[in-house]
Amino acid sequence: MDFMLNITFYAFILGIVAYIVREVWRTGTMRIIALGVLSGALLLNTILVLMRWFEANHAPMSDKFESFVFFAWSIALVYLIMELVTIFIIKVHGSRLGIVGAFQCVLSACFLYCAIGTDSTIKELPPALQSNWLVIHVINYFISYSALSISFSAAIVYLIYRAIYHGKAQEIVMKDITFDKLAYISVTIGFPFLTVGLITGSIWAKGAWGTYWGWDPKEIWSLINWLIYLAYLHLPLILPKTKISKSFRPILLSIILLVAFPTVIFTFMGLHKLPTAGTSDHIYAE
Amino acid sequence: MTKVANPKEKKSENESKIWQFLCSVKLAVIIIVVLAVSCVLGTVILQQLTPEEYVAKYGEVLTKFFTAAQFTDIFHSYWFAILLILLCVNLGSCTVKRWRNTVLQIGFLLTHISIILIMIGCFIDLQLGEKGGVNVYEGKSVDYYLRRGDYKKIPLDFEVFLDDFIIERHPPKFRLISYVKDKDIQKPLSVKVGEKYNIKNSNYSVTIKDLYPDAEYSQKPVNISDEPVNPAVYVQMFGSSDIKAEGWLFAKGRNWYNDENHNMRLEYFWVDNEKEFEKLTKTAEKGLLPKLGIVLEDKGIDREFVIETGANFTIEGTEYKIEIKEFALDYTNRTKPLKDQLVNNPAVRIEIVGPEGSDTRWAFSKYPDYWDKAHQTKYKDIRVACKVPDDFTFASNKMRIVQNQNNEKVISYIENDKVIKVVNWEIGKKCEIGGTGFQLRIAKYFPSYSVQREVVKKSDTMNNPAILVEIAGPRGKVEDWILGQTPATWYPDNNFALLYERSGMEIKDYKSKLRVIDNGQTVLSKTIEVNDPLKYSGYVFYQSSYDPEGEKYSGLQVTKNPGIVVVYSGFIILCVGVVFIFYVKPFLRRKSNKKER
Repeated sequence: MDFMLNITFYAFILGIVAYIVREVWRTGTMRIIALGVLSGALLLNTILVLMRWFEANHAPMSDKFESFVFFAWSIALVYLIMELVTIFIIKVHGSRLGIVGAFQCVLSACFLYCAIGTDSTIKELPPALQSNWLVIHVINYFISYSALSISFSAAIVYLIYRAIYHGKAQEIVMKDITFDKLAYISVTIGFPFLTVGLITGSIWAKGAWGTYWGWDPKEIWSLINWLIYLAYLHLPLILPKTKISKSFRPILLSIILLVAFPTVIFTFMGLHKLPTAGTSDHIYAE
Repeated sequence: MTKVANPKEKKSENESKIWQFLCSVKLAVIIIVVLAVSCVLGTVILQQLTPEEYVAKYGEVLTKFFTAAQFTDIFHSYWFAILLILLCVNLGSCTVKRWRNTVLQIGFLLTHISIILIMIGCFIDLQLGEKGGVNVYEGKSVDYYLRRGDYKKIPLDFEVFLDDFIIERHPPKFRLISYVKDKDIQKPLSVKVGEKYNIKNSNYSVTIKDLYPDAEYSQKPVNISDEPVNPAVYVQMFGSSDIKAEGWLFAKGRNWYNDENHNMRLEYFWVDNEKEFEKLTKTAEKGLLPKLGIVLEDKGIDREFVIETGANFTIEGTEYKIEIKEFALDYTNRTKPLKDQLVNNPAVRIEIVGPEGSDTRWAFSKYPDYWDKAHQTKYKDIRVACKVPDDFTFASNKMRIVQNQNNEKVISYIENDKVIKVVNWEIGKKCEIGGTGFQLRIAKYFPSYSVQREVVKKSDTMNNPAILVEIAGPRGKVEDWILGQTPATWYPDNNFALLYERSGMEIKDYKSKLRVIDNGQTVLSKTIEVNDPLKYSGYVFYQSSYDPEGEKYSGLQVTKNPGIVVVYSGFIILCVGVVFIFYVKPFLRRKSNKKER
């Protein structure tokens, strides 16, 4: 298991290199190689998840170690699906996703690195987690988080491009840099899953704890994430009516995404740092 | 995305500015942001503490501010409620104003309506819902619950009967953790027999050599030398055919065994001179008797009397008369005949008659001053002690096993303090003690008795496992057994340790077999567990806790949520709406765009 974990980690590192090379060299072959490396890493990660599922005899998303591995897997999977869709279905040119692939590999590698340092012993599920809602709720959230992570990477890339072509808005239009649009699309992909995740969590809480909303820190922070992306989705409706210049609007939206995703990560793994963490029913592992 | 309002509408004179503001997306975004910020505050500031706790935590000034701004219970504050109402109004008016009756707007309509529905449902639950808890004992029923918050007893118009409460446990699981002190690295190792683990970034390695699923320490008697350092014999006393008693006797420790049932005492001596040997084998002295000690310090009186119930005596030089009222070898069993009491907690009750009348007190041999401290006594100058020898017995028969440096071995049979018979003994042979009906067998003789602690296998089911590990490090190899649930085992350089501890959840599930009794009849029965509650007449009973000191009662949570249908409809509509907006609408739009082209 440890060996597999390390191999998968290095596969993602290789993925980072492949995507960077692809961005520099932009040849058809390189595009296929990068896609191949990512697919390979994803395959290894899939084996990890399945092995764990088989070994632990419950869905591998209940403790820290399992959710790190699963998150790495879902980030790679969602990105791969997105890349395949852009290449084969929407058929836009390859640079649309460009360097974002490298960012996604970094994220996957990060979470695997976290998993390597985490206690990987198999733990029994506490009574509250013994429910089918676990799978539905958690998968929804991870798909959503993965899509939102793409929006985060795309926002970073967009801001970097804007910094490079500082003040040359014309050039950005010419070079067809659409990472702000990619970020928006990623949010629209992730947001429904975020909503379903929140709702399934609420229904599950009703079954397990008797209340569908108990102002638990984890619940509140999930709501905060939801509200932030909700605000992001509504902003394009009001921005044209404000005095904010047209060229600055995508920068503002990108900055919001830059803040939003870290709050998602905080909800996922940082809640034990809150002063109110003691009142939470959600914190199992810390 | 909703379409931007038609400029013509904006100019409509019927619309006031307030209405426009209420309908605006701008207001929606403002409310969303304010809600998000207040949610953050609600998790950063500790909620629902007492005023004293706030002062201690945040200081006077901040506490005043928090209280004034209702930051101490944000989610139940007035301003938060107003914010939510405002959100509903905004959503409602925005929906009404922007509805164009097109297919593409279905998602917009559904999501906005669903949020309002969820809010309404929550409001209904808040007003009409009930929440509380109750503990039910096994074999008992309840017809009420205690409301959350004020613990008011709320009656139910039916009864809930608990037939059985079951706690299911996981088979115990253990994990081995290695710890390198100077690097402060902790790492779990999996336990596989035959496996060798090199501890990363250190030069220690651990090899698992064996595993017992259920083990314990056993104390095994061993002889460590032929020198008579701690002579001991293992004696078996036979009745007609079966063993009546057996065990170790130690010449330099507990060398006696009293058997009141058979009126028999066994003794063991090891001596290294002839004189002592002669004395022990040929003569018998009277056993020590229980005595009463009387001390009057200021008069310099210190006397002892043999305890005999009913005896009385005067203390010379004082006006005190003492009578022994009662004697017990075991105070807690003092109502039994004295012969049936083991020497456990001897005590004597005496009556002191003096110038101020009579005074009765118990004196305990283990707690000499207990009676005086705990009770009012008249004669504080008298100190009473109950002195009972540890090996005191009523037995009139004695078997004295004696051994000397020349390896002479005899047993003296003593009856009523007279030596009746002396016989020789040999290891492993039964000795007939003529006329007594008893036989003695000295099964073992250890000149240097000692105990060896070793790990033995108790059974093959996982219970308290032990592993045999070999630790290799800078000071060579060390092999040792590690038992589960024991303190860490350190390598000789005190820098590396192994801990074998229980891991994972102990409790698998808790279940309550419940029956609902309405008008004297069982109308519903169900075994509830976490994630699977019982529902009856609007109430839902959840498994929420249990008796931590046994399995006698089950903690149930009782809720009534009349608004839940509304909330759940809101949930479903919200899901459908969101999926429509982001997954269906783009395709519909694309289609219509293509058509236009």
